Amino acid sequence: MSVASGRMSTMARWTEERVIGAAPDQSSIAAARKLARPGPWSDTGSNDVLVWGKCQGSGKTPYQVSVDIAAPAYRCSCPSRKFPCKHALALLLLWARGEAAESGTETADFAEEWAAQRASRSAAREQRQSDQAADPAAQAKRLAERLTLMDAGIADFARWLTDLVRTGLASARTQPYSWWDGVAARLVDAQLPGLADQVRAMGSDVHARPDWADHLLLRAGRWWALTKAWTLRDQLSPSEFADLRATLGWATASADVQETEAIPGPWLVLGAHRSDDGRLQQQRTWLRAPDGSFVVVLDFAAQGQALTVPQLAGAVLDVTVARYPGSAPRRAMFTSPISPRGLAASLGEGCSIAQALDAEAAAVALSPWRDRRPVLLSGVRVCPGDPGWLQDEFGDALPVVDASLDSLLALTGGHPVDVFCELDEGRVRPLSLVVDGSVVVP
Amino acid sequence: MTWLDDLRAAALVGTGRHAAPAPPAELGVRPPDGLSREESLLDQAALADVATRAARRPLDVEASALPQPAGPDDVPQADGDAARLLDLLLTQPPVGLELRNQLVADWLGLAERARRRVPHRLLPALLTLAENKAVIAERLDPAIGTRGRWLQDLAGPAGARTRPSMTSGGMASSAVASGTTASSPAESSLAMSSPSQFEQWIELGSAEATAVLQRLRRNDPNVARELLTRHWDNLGARERAAHLAVFALNIQAADEELLERALDDKAKTVREIAAGLLDRLPGSSRAQRMAARLRPLLHVKGLLRKQFEIELPGTPDAAALRDGIAADPRTREPDRLGRLDTIIRGAPLDVWTSASGRDPEGTLTLLSGEARVINAIVEAAVLRADVDWVRALLDVRSDARLLKCLPPGERQDAIVRLIQSGTEQALAVMPLLRDLPRPWGTPLANEVLALITSKKGGYLAAMVADFLPSALPPEAAEQCRRLLERADNDAPRRRVFRDVVQYQSFRQSLTEAFR
Repeated sequence: MSVASGRMSTMARWTEERVIGAAPDQSSIAAARKLARPGPWSDTGSNDVLVWGKCQGSGKTPYQVSVDIAAPAYRCSCPSRKFPCKHALALLLLWARGEAAESGTETADFAEEWAAQRASRSAAREQRQSDQAADPAAQAKRLAERLTLMDAGIADFARWLTDLVRTGLASARTQPYSWWDGVAARLVDAQLPGLADQVRAMGSDVHARPDWADHLLLRAGRWWALTKAWTLRDQLSPSEFADLRATLGWATASADVQETEAIPGPWLVLGAHRSDDGRLQQQRTWLRAPDGSFVVVLDFAAQGQALTVPQLAGAVLDVTVARYPGSAPRRAMFTSPISPRGLAASLGEGCSIAQALDAEAAAVALSPWRDRRPVLLSGVRVCPGDPGWLQDEFGDALPVVDASLDSLLALTGGHPVDVFCELDEGRVRPLSLVVDGSVVVP
Repeated sequence: MTWLDDLRAAALVGTGRHAAPAPPAELGVRPPDGLSREESLLDQAALADVATRAARRPLDVEASALPQPAGPDDVPQADGDAARLLDLLLTQPPVGLELRNQLVADWLGLAERARRRVPHRLLPALLTLAENKAVIAERLDPAIGTRGRWLQDLAGPAGARTRPSMTSGGMASSAVASGTTASSPAESSLAMSSPSQFEQWIELGSAEATAVLQRLRRNDPNVARELLTRHWDNLGARERAAHLAVFALNIQAADEELLERALDDKAKTVREIAAGLLDRLPGSSRAQRMAARLRPLLHVKGLLRKQFEIELPGTPDAAALRDGIAADPRTREPDRLGRLDTIIRGAPLDVWTSASGRDPEGTLTLLSGEARVINAIVEAAVLRADVDWVRALLDVRSDARLLKCLPPGERQDAIVRLIQSGTEQALAVMPLLRDLPRPWGTPLANEVLALITSKKGGYLAAMVADFLPSALPPEAAEQCRRLLERADNDAPRRRVFRDVVQYQSFRQSLTEAFR
């Protein structure tokens, strides 16, 4: 047995949907389907953690494919830059269908070797991290240096904001994108990457959005407030400071979070959203604890890499969760292996649109930096149009964003349903809905 | 001007030229003293940000914009493999697109037979695909069920969705300052069922108007005629011509009045289109006028009445000019043969049989030397889809247009005979195969397979590649599998056989999934 098998419990066999979800793009899965027949495969096998096999490609030596289904991680000796490549996907498809890679055989040498390498690498990494943590004096020095850098960056940004409003927003709009990008680059240098992302986005928003003037004015106000909050950071509560810190892009190390708590579930998966800004892909998975509180799990992947497989909306998960510091709804991470317990027939008690907006107003008062909040609307009907609306039983409506209206209409048939959405700038982004006793994704 | 409007105005031009407004006292704001203009503006922008977000209001959507909920679906939905296969076809087709469309149509047919319906979640992708794929569109009902028809009704016949003028975002100006609500005007889509919608048609752009008229003409030719007649005088010449050309579809005796009116049109293009359309109506009065012009030109000569002698028509009078017969050109000799063609095309074909005293076949033998006349008769027979004449003409002419007029079963036999008569016809025959009902009979399948496996058949294979898989009967799949195993360097041909085998095996999976 490999070293890796020690850290995970027995993993269930993947479903075909899960394999498809792991593919980096459509063409990979299409190529994998063509390969997913026993013909080119030999020496396949699996154990609790690994699936492996050899695939005869066009060359003389067959490609060696190993997949760590727990992590998940993939390794193939083929030269493809797709990740995971079609060979790994095809092997998983065969395994998911029970057509190959049955367990019971001895682990192939190449798979064993790869698992061992991975284990030793991750051990070395942990070693390195604990070495760093071991020296408090060096740590304090790094922190002081970072704070100095950030202070200077914030002061510089505040000056830029006063220049912006002195010369006027209209003249800022005539600036080329490189002007915004230059400001963003200075913010990155000052270790304020979260702020930098917002400025970069504004560089395109001033041309893309019809309401650009209001958007820039209000966003400049929020940036100004951020600079003020940073200078007053000693007076903030720990959760207020954590929100500020996350907004500026000062990351909290996951190792620091992992140790703090382990909240048992069962956790209900409310829905997930994937976004892609051209540089980074993000996946937000919203979960709810039995006590009704929301958390969000964020996953990131660079361009061309595969995000982790999304959890199925409506699934009830047995898993422990640790939350990052900050105000509700808090960011969270999984701290134990995930085992699905079953599917929920409903997402629970929702609220009306007026209530959702009231909650939003209260939340803005608590944490003014955040753009998105989860909301479960009960008994809303889909109203077609451009962009389309969700309307509740009291006649209140909110515009829909980022969703296929055709799909919403097809699933609901115009009947009232419960919809889980993200409330974002007064618009709702539907992520899942409850139809006929099951949770579906539009 | 509200506070927020002032603030926006100051921010746009910059505090260098415009001071920030006074903070809104009604919100209880008491700014610290000694702020610079810039600081004051930025402070107020920050206030506006949180105030806007904390004061968002729901929108009012007009009740009429909410659709009536869909009725219940009483047919059970297809599940298991059947649903998975449809999903696969719609999202990640494992076969070429043309084959995919055929398989989706097959799926719908099988679902109908098994009394199953499309799962709701797959309807949008299916309906989108069907929008410009007739082969799928005509099979949608009943497999799409109540929900599918409901979605089609929502989209409207013109596919026009409501387009309200509201911009997204629900910005501060309306939310904070005035508390007003945006509304969503729900324009009714163009359904062409009520008088008011009749009036809207004239507002459309001319290309779109032609498209709407064409749809209408297909479903309800009388309404299309009424629509065009009503607006006729208000249309430009180009529009009159384009709209009238649509009437080739479902042409009928009742159209004659409008067409006669168009013969008097100012524009030559319109007159020509009207004359061309009247050529299709052998019972019309123009056809009778043409018959009167043709009859005196025809004489049967010879002791055994074995030959037609045909005179050329003289200079046209005003009535003849109106009927579309060419006037004398100013400089050249008049084209008398061209005039004869026009008259033959316009006159009923029974002028010929009554002149000869024989049936169409016999009449054509009398015309054996007159290639040009026979061509004109072919055109007339095709325009009217006169099957008796078409059959007789096929003995002397192998013209693709004639084949198209035959009923499908007969057409298939005629094509088989044509292929057997010599391979030089093959190139002309291939396009005709596309419109034949599928699957083909075994004789035709064998002939076509023999043609494309022949030495130079590779290019023929490419011509039928997109529809051959669904056209061959299942028995032919085995033959294709054998052909595929044969050594063959012709890649397109191999691809065609591979498609046939793939299609038949996927089709087999579909049949099993619905069992």
